[in-house]
Amino acid sequence: MSAAVAVARAWAPDVRPGFLRRLNPLAKVAATLPAAVLLVVWHEAAAALVLGGVAAVLLVVGAGLRPRVLAGLLVAAPLAAAVVGAALGLWVAPGTTTGSPVLVRLGSWTYTQAALVEGLGTVARLYAVLLLTSVGGLTTTGPDLVRASQQQLRVPYRVGWTALAAFRFVPRFGHELAVIRAAHRVRGTDTGTGPVADLRRYVGYAVPLLAGALRHAERVALAMDARAFGAHPTRTERYRVPWRHRDSALVATTWAVTLATWLLLR
Amino acid sequence: MSVRVEDVRIRHEGRTAWRPDGVTFAVRPGEVVLLLGPSGSGKSTLALALDGLVPHAVPADLEGRVVVDGTATTSTTVARLSEHVAMVFQDPDAQVVTGTVLDEVCFGPENLRVPADEVLDRAERALRAVGLWERRTEAPDALSGGGRQRLAIACALALGSPVLVLDEPTANLDPVGTQEVYAALRAVVADGTRAVVLVEHDLDAAVDLVDRVVVLDRAGRYALDGTTREVLADRAEEVAALGVWLPVATLAALRLRGAGVALDPLPLTAAELATALDACDELPAPAAAAPTPAAAADPVVQVRGLTVRRGGRTVLDDVHLDVPAGAVLALVGVNGAGKTTLAQAVAGVVPPPRGTVRVAGVDPARTPPRTLVRHVGFVFQNPEHQLVRGTVADELAHGLRLQGADDATVAAAVEDLLRRLDLTAERDVHPFLLSGGQKRRLSVGTALVTGARVLVLDEPTYGQDRERAAELLALLERLVAEGTTVLLVTHDLQLVADHATHVAVLHEGRLVTTGPTSAVLAGTALEDAGLLPPPLARATRQVRRHPAWRAVTRLADLPHPGAPAAADRGAGATVGAGA
Repeated sequence: MSAAVAVARAWAPDVRPGFLRRLNPLAKVAATLPAAVLLVVWHEAAAALVLGGVAAVLLVVGAGLRPRVLAGLLVAAPLAAAVVGAALGLWVAPGTTTGSPVLVRLGSWTYTQAALVEGLGTVARLYAVLLLTSVGGLTTTGPDLVRASQQQLRVPYRVGWTALAAFRFVPRFGHELAVIRAAHRVRGTDTGTGPVADLRRYVGYAVPLLAGALRHAERVALAMDARAFGAHPTRTERYRVPWRHRDSALVATTWAVTLATWLLLR
Repeated sequence: MSVRVEDVRIRHEGRTAWRPDGVTFAVRPGEVVLLLGPSGSGKSTLALALDGLVPHAVPADLEGRVVVDGTATTSTTVARLSEHVAMVFQDPDAQVVTGTVLDEVCFGPENLRVPADEVLDRAERALRAVGLWERRTEAPDALSGGGRQRLAIACALALGSPVLVLDEPTANLDPVGTQEVYAALRAVVADGTRAVVLVEHDLDAAVDLVDRVVVLDRAGRYALDGTTREVLADRAEEVAALGVWLPVATLAALRLRGAGVALDPLPLTAAELATALDACDELPAPAAAAPTPAAAADPVVQVRGLTVRRGGRTVLDDVHLDVPAGAVLALVGVNGAGKTTLAQAVAGVVPPPRGTVRVAGVDPARTPPRTLVRHVGFVFQNPEHQLVRGTVADELAHGLRLQGADDATVAAAVEDLLRRLDLTAERDVHPFLLSGGQKRRLSVGTALVTGARVLVLDEPTYGQDRERAAELLALLERLVAEGTTVLLVTHDLQLVADHATHVAVLHEGRLVTTGPTSAVLAGTALEDAGLLPPPLARATRQVRRHPAWRAVTRLADLPHPGAPAAADRGAGATVGAGA
């Protein structure tokens, strides 16, 4: 039943604390997207620190996340990122770091300070992008994002609701896959190790899973048709996800911070 | 407002046969019409045609006309038709679109662009009608199967359609859920403003609700149409001859009629049967209960102190169970009672704690799967899940090849099984292309081919009609005669009464009682576990004047036209009415 609980949680009206949850989902995407794109194309670790820092502050103050999630995101994740960054330094082309102080020397192989900085810088940018996307990602529910795209972006409701219906399939298929695996184990197909046996096993799971999925999708589609889904170009929307002044304010502020960061550090 | 079906024939894309093939009837306002027919006669297809899903959403040719409120379904859209005809389908899982009960009911009217205030108004009325208003903020997934089908009925009501079509609404439910759904439906039709078209194989649950019955024959042709009593009672023999199941009370009465006990009028419900029996001054003695196999000294399945916890919940609590060799043991209980968990533990599908289970001489917890399949076979609820090869013959050979059997042995065993399963003609067909009943037989074969003496089946009759269930039971009885022991999880208690030698009743993870079927059905364990006794037992328990009849639970217990009943009478074994 954990699958059912997961679905229920994703759908329930969001009443958890945090001002970010009261903002329009599209505003959160619009606010953070330019900064994330900038960090992807611009090799500047300092910008990652500034923009990532802003995102971290927003998450702490406004996301209403539980302490464990926050600790994972802001303590454990950066530590892991630092380790990955140091390791990334091993792959930095030696030619680009000549003249830099050597940190480790093993025979003719050297690990320089420049390589370490380069590795950490790359990881810092990736981590900052993660934080920026978390601002919207951890404070928005799927149904709200769909509603906002219908109401502000005029995405046809058929597209959004189909996506939501598909979202409901995921836990169901997880359960179905578990049953199929048990069934195949009983038939004695779960034998053999190694990638070839694994591949064969997974192809074996795919056939019944797909057959079940298609049948289920067909039934859901019939049930939706029978309830007038798609009858008119629009449908009554009981939940409004409005675009308010505070949404505009969030977008304007974050765009200004992003632009300022670029102008000051470039 | 009415729905008229005029000489309708439907052929699914890629098929050659027309099912249904020439059906004419009308649904009048406020009427409950039951659509009956043998498997494959096209009942469900016809139901889908009533709101235009056939041919608009399901690719098929439709000849003749379905006329809804004066308009042919082919000249409008499904969406427009949904304002006149609402549907409830078989699978409660496949009808849920949104995340809360309230949103779910609002979904239909929202699609029809009903103003938001009125949407909520309709939703409240619909949810109150089925008793779910208090649970409106919950997720649909949190409801039981019966609760979700009630929700589906509420969703249909909220569309405001005067006609409701229900296609096998209780086939996936346990008996408690079935009762819930019919209680809700009874409330819905009570004011006589809504017409209902019902496709249902559980006649015992539905019959007292139905005003009129339309019967199709095996070829999908229109056979009978009349009031419930005209069709099911007055023409019961014709209906039965068409391969359609009758209410158990009617079947019992037909059998009695053959034995010289004329019940007139024929009863349709358990209560009517009880009254009719009491109205008889004399009844022949019921046939002797089936000889119960003596508990073997060495039970083939032994469960000792089996406790299973999952996610902090105790699914099975200290279960002790013995299954004698040659038994057909039915595991019964409401949903969530732990039936499937127990079945899976016995078969080692989910290995039980060591030392708690012995099956055919081995402990599933200590036996590698490849060895275990020589002792116990497991048949999953959905046969497709355990089919792994490209042809029927390969599917049967698979288990033996894994055992390292030589080609000659494999070929001989496969031929033998194909014959026993009646699948010889399908030997080169892909298993997924078989019919539902054939798939089920094949999955039983795959579990048996490696020589298992114990066969465990998880709800083998789920979602199937009585005809397929009977076909499977006949196969199982042949296997038992050949020395197999069968454990099966099922919700169909009349099937349990008629075919199981032993019953184990589970309730909230505990084994409440176990024993020979007649003993368990005579007690109150079923009611205590939240289940209803099978329909025939419900009737005979109400019999006042013939005490010997109160223990009758199986159709086979009834005196029948053959020799035994006559002999009983001849021997003066007639049970007189109580003084």
